[in-house]
This record gives sequence, structure tokens and C-alpha cells, in this order.
Amino acid sequence: MKTRRFAFLLLGSAFAAGSGAKAAAQDAPTTAPIPASQDLSQLSIEELAQLPVRSASKREEPLSAAPTALFVITGDDIVGSAADSLPEALRLAPNLNVQQVNGHEYAVSARGFNSIETANKLLVLMDGRSIYSTLHSGVFWDLRTPMLEDIAQIEVISGPGGTLYGPNAVNGVINITSRDAGETLGGLVRGTAGTFEQSAAARYGFPLGGAGALRVYANWFNFDQHPPAAIGPVLDDRFHGWRAGFRGDFATDRDHFTLQGDIFDNAIETLPEDGNEGHNILGRWTRELSGTSSFQFQAYYDYVERRYLLTFDSLERVDAEAQLNLRVGAHDIVIGGGVRTTRDEFINNLNAFQLNPQSRRLWVYNGFVQDRFALTPTLSLTAGIKAEDTSFTGIELLPNVRLAWRPDERTLLWAAVSRAVRTPSRIDRQLEFPPLLTGGSFQSEKLVAFEAGYRGQPTRRTTLSVSAFFNAYDDIRTTEFQPGGGLPIQLMNGLEGHTYGVEAWSVTQLTPWLRVNLGLSALWKRFHEKPGHADLAQRDALGHDPHLQLFLRAELNPVEWLRLNLGLRRIGALDAVAGAPRSGAYVEADANLTYRLSETLELFVAGNNLLHETHLESNDVQRVRLAQRSVHFGTRLRF
Amino acid sequence: MSRAQLLLAFALLLGASPARAQPTEDAVKAAFLPRFARYVAWPAPALPTAGAPFQLCLIGRDPFGRLLDQAAASELIDGHSVAVRRIPSAGQAAGCHLAFVHGAAPTDTARLLLALRAQPVLTVTDGRAGPQRGMIHFTIVGGRVRFFIDEAAAAERGLSISSRLLALAAGVRQRR
Repeated sequence: MKTRRFAFLLLGSAFAAGSGAKAAAQDAPTTAPIPASQDLSQLSIEELAQLPVRSASKREEPLSAAPTALFVITGDDIVGSAADSLPEALRLAPNLNVQQVNGHEYAVSARGFNSIETANKLLVLMDGRSIYSTLHSGVFWDLRTPMLEDIAQIEVISGPGGTLYGPNAVNGVINITSRDAGETLGGLVRGTAGTFEQSAAARYGFPLGGAGALRVYANWFNFDQHPPAAIGPVLDDRFHGWRAGFRGDFATDRDHFTLQGDIFDNAIETLPEDGNEGHNILGRWTRELSGTSSFQFQAYYDYVERRYLLTFDSLERVDAEAQLNLRVGAHDIVIGGGVRTTRDEFINNLNAFQLNPQSRRLWVYNGFVQDRFALTPTLSLTAGIKAEDTSFTGIELLPNVRLAWRPDERTLLWAAVSRAVRTPSRIDRQLEFPPLLTGGSFQSEKLVAFEAGYRGQPTRRTTLSVSAFFNAYDDIRTTEFQPGGGLPIQLMNGLEGHTYGVEAWSVTQLTPWLRVNLGLSALWKRFHEKPGHADLAQRDALGHDPHLQLFLRAELNPVEWLRLNLGLRRIGALDAVAGAPRSGAYVEADANLTYRLSETLELFVAGNNLLHETHLESNDVQRVRLAQRSVHFGTRLRF
Repeated sequence: MSRAQLLLAFALLLGASPARAQPTEDAVKAAFLPRFARYVAWPAPALPTAGAPFQLCLIGRDPFGRLLDQAAASELIDGHSVAVRRIPSAGQAAGCHLAFVHGAAPTDTARLLLALRAQPVLTVTDGRAGPQRGMIHFTIVGGRVRFFIDEAAAAERGLSISSRLLALAAGVRQRR
């Protein structure tokens, strides 16, 4: 309680200081050793190299001209926010819906279908490694605990990712990239402590020869258990663990090599053995072949295992992919291909649901070609097709066509039509509960997406992105009796329908020290059972989504040594679930106040869910706990 | 509590800190760019003729704007001024002494660098634009603008880089 009052005092004084300190800065004498203006011509080259600088935000650069609904979270945005984990950082993207289900589980989706079991239409990449599980095609976010300070950026694409991204990019792509080792030289130590959560992290980066750099890091975290909700189980969900790793980058003028790896282990206090562990290693080589072409090859190995409530689930993944970029006349051509194999194992001692076989190796092959060409100086067309061959469904063709019109540097109008599929997961095909449930011939879920959007700078101080979509789905999962009635039940493809919606966000630099971000996403869903199909799961596969999300974020930087980030979000009520109370709309706030004590040391206080003691974000009857107010203090030392 | 008291409490709480305006990252990079010419020796045929300026070319995107023009205007090296030229492609790079290369995408940067390979031009790249490195590659170390130097690549083009600049590098790929 004391902590909370202290936090509010700090925040309150920061508001007061915002306007006052600005005036004070103008009055400050200019005798400081470093010139107040940006005229640096009097400094020696050694002095320039010692000059602390205000970091440029990546967002000041125009987004690539990619004709998609793309939102970029920069590493700087994450460090300045109250986010204390990767899924919390994803709340910065207005085109995602993030539901905290309990202390370690999150459900994250774009354009609908959200819940732990149904958020299965997203491709998530971490430094080029695909991290969705072949068990249910969803992402276990508690396996992903990177050091947030080393994230360079997170690209969030809502809508099919197009040809260039890998399998499962149906409703969206989250592409998380860490910083080049050459960008993280020196040391960083962070520690945070709050009544409810603690963390510690350290990283050190150093040059390796003249052409390379290497960094090593380790972090540790603890999240105490969340209050039980009226509908969920009363199980301890305290979550704690560590992760460590390295990244090396070596560059010459033609080649760039990256080698990186991580190892982690964490525990969930539900049962003594519960928790996750894993490790991965990735190598990537990029070579410039000539002035107009380049070649990239990457390969990785990734192993994770999860123990939760008497179930054991492991997944080993080996992947290799290559890509060639060519420019031929007015054509920018990308050709690529890849092969991935997974070996999983799922052992369930909790109940009678089993995968048959218990362990299986699966293969995915894909090849793609894309051509972007200029029709006129302002109009370009991108056409691509990908062929994907999986162990369960054979060859699928995924074409997409995108049109981009750039009448001037500040305006991009785009439209796209794409086909995407979610190929069956192990659960879709091979889940059994004899004699009630049997594995079946579940086919891919299919999407044809129609999208259009605008991105640009309507005024000098504002960037704006608006996109609209109409998604036509077919063969969405149902749970059904045998044709003609009777047991065993089977997973089938009995639903069809469509979703449509709008996503919009803007960034306005109101004054040099105040930036305001607004965001909105709206979603409508219309589905029905196809003739002859009756869904025993009551359309559970459609997930539970808010109809409307609104975001407001203010970033204040009144003086160089003080930074305040305030976020407010209103998340609409979720679609009702049979047998569970409807979780209603909620409004919540988060804040981060960072004070730079010196060039090497900063202190911060951050709070999540500040408006209410607790609130409900999910209506998952089997797992949900309450999200709660949490304040932590932290310090970061750079050397 | 009045606002003044609050402010005072706040200042006491956090300790007094000089409210000085730090330059932006881009301003410091812009200050470095024309300065590099001072610490590089070009082969004689590539040097500007008497009275002609060193040519600092921005190829591709321009993140600096006026910052660079200001920085270049105050530079005078052995009687040569520094002229800034902004060009869209490497095709127009004849006569450039220094080239800051910043493509719209990392692959574009790489293409531009390759196209410059035949010329005695000091190529400079920015870590923020992508991993592709010219002879000098800006990076940020501990909140300061620093750079990697590829001395080997410079030597291949007949450029020699002074030890004073090499001493400031975060890392040097040495000539063989």
C-alpha cells in the first residue's frame, strides 16, 4: 500500500514538473561544457566521440513502403514503457489483442480468434526462428522471455503476411528482431523490484576483431501468483526462471554472418515439476552477389519442453531456408525456399486425451517467388505465390497480389488480395479420447483476405495509418458426431463465415517534448455452420474477441533526464462463452517514469493496471486468473 | 502542498541534475561526416584540385537535412571546403570523396555499396539503416556515437586512415 502511494506521489510530481522544468531549461546558463545548440563544429573529433547523445527513434524514419497493415514497436518504445515481459510489450501494438490469462499464459491474436486454444493463425518469429507450436499452432508465450533491452524492434503485421513469411501467417505476423551485436557494445545491468515482481538482467558486448562483435546476456525474473477469478481454477501460478544467451555479428563489405543462441529454464508453481526449458542456436549468412542481387541462408535448431499439470510436451525443430533477391530491369524479384522438420512428444497423465501417435516427426517444405514491379513511377504491383507441402495436407498454393500507389513521399495507398491457410496441428489431426473422440481427416482452414489501407503524413507532425479488411474463411474447426450421428466425435471443418474490421493508429509530435499516439481496432465476426454440420463445441474455434479496442499513449520528455510514458487502453467485452460469465469491457492504465541520474545510471518506476486492484482479461474457464495492479522500481546501469 | 513545494520536493527527491540539452544522435553523426575527410588520405589523382571542395555525397536517404549542411560549411581542410551533394543512386557518384550510404532497405544499402566498389571513395554507413557496413560504420556505444572502421577495405581502394581516427573506433578490421 505504501509503495503505491509513493508511486502516485512520483507520478503526480512529474506532471507538475513537466511544464515547470521546460521553462527552467530555457533559463539555464549556457556555460555547460557541451553546447546547448546542435552546432558541434567547435568540438574535436575525440570530443564528438565522447558526447552523450539523445537517441533517435527508429520511428522517425519512414516505414518501408510495404503495402501491409504494419505497426512497428521499437526497442526504445519497449524500454520506455511499463512492459516487463514480451507479451506485455505487444500491448503497444494497436493491431493486436493481448489477453493475460494468468501469471504465465497469454493469448495474443490479430483480427480475431483469440484465446489460448484458438489463437492459432499467427506466425511469430524471433530473430528468424518460427516459434508457434505444432501441438496446437499457437504460441506458448511463457517459453519466450528475452532480455527486453536487446530487442531492436517488433514488426506487427495484421493480415496475411504475404509470400515472404513462413507457414501459419494467416491473420498476422509478429517479427521480433534483436539488436546487431555491434549495436550493443558495453555493459548493461538492470534490476527491478516490486511487491509483486522482481527481475535482474545483465549483458556485455565487445568488439571481436575489427569486423565483428559479440554480446552475452543473462536474465532472471519472478512474477508472484495472481488472485483467483470467480470462474478459473485456484492453482498457484507463480512464474519464475532465467534465460541466457549470446549473439555474434561479423561483417565485411560483402558478407554478414550472425550466430546466436539461447538457453532457458523456468518454473510454474502449480505442481512441483511444472515449468519449461529449452535451447536454440541459429546461424545466418547474407552475401551480396553483385550490385543488384543478394543471397541469404539461415539454419536453426530449437528445442523446448513444457511440463504442466501432469502433461509433458516437447518439440524439437530444425529449419533451413535460403532466399535470393534480384533486380532485373524494373522488377525486384525474390525467390526462396525452405525445409523444416519437427519432432514432438505429448504425454498426458492428467486425463484420457492422447495424441496418437504420442510422438511424431512432421515436415514442411515451401518455395516462393515474388515480383514487385513499377507500373508507373508512382504505382507498383507485387505479385507472389508460395507453395507449401506439409505432412498432413500435401501441397497448398498461397498466392497474393498487392498494389501500392505513392502519389508523393508522404502518401501510400494500398490494396491487397491474398489466400492463406492454417495447416492442421497435431491436435487437429491426432487427438483421441477413446472411445469418445477419434482423430480424423481435418483439413486446412482457409482464408481469402481483401485489404486496403492508407499510410502517410497528413500533416507535418502526424503520421497516420488506416487499414480495412474483409476476411472470408472456410473450413474452420468444429467438433462433430459421426456423419449420421453417434460416437466417436471428431474434429471437422464445419464452419464458414467472414470477419471485417478497421485498424487505425496515429502518432502526433505535439511539441518537441510531447508525443501522443492514438490507436483503434474494430472487428465484426459472422460465422455459420455449413449444411450438414453441427458444432458440439458451440463455435469455440472462433475465439473470444473484443469488438473494439481503443489506445491512447503519451510520451513526455520535458528535459533530457526525465521521461514519462503514460498509456491508457479500453478493451471491449469479449464474445460470450457458454458456461462462463461474460468478461466485460475494461479500461486500464500503465505508466513508466524514467529518471536519468547520470550518463550511465537511470532509475525508473513503472506500473501496470493502475486503475483497478484487479480485472478480468480472459474468459478461459480452465485457466483464467485476475490481472492485477503492479508497481515496480528499477535501475539500469550502462557502462 | 503548493506546486512550488511539490517541485522542490521532486528536485530534492531526485537530486539536482543539470538540465542541459544533449545533441541528437543525427547531429553528432552529421558533425562527424565532413570531419572524417581530415583523417583520410586519398590517392593523389582522387584529391580535389586546388580550390575545389571535397565532395561529401549522400546516396539514398538523407537523415540529416540542414544539420549536415551546417557541419560541412564550417569545415576547411588544407584549403579545401566540403561540399554536400545529395544523389539518388551510385551512378552519379563520380567525384565523390566521401559517401554516406543509406538505402531505403538494408539490401539497397548493400547494392549501393557494391556499386561504389571501384571508386576511391570513403563509404560510411549507419547501424540504424541495417547491418551492411561501409569503411566506417556508425554505431551507438553507451549512449555515444562511435564507429567501426574497415581499414582493410579502405586500403584496397587506396585510402589510408589516420591513427587518430583508428584510435576512436569501437573496432577496426585491420589491413593485411
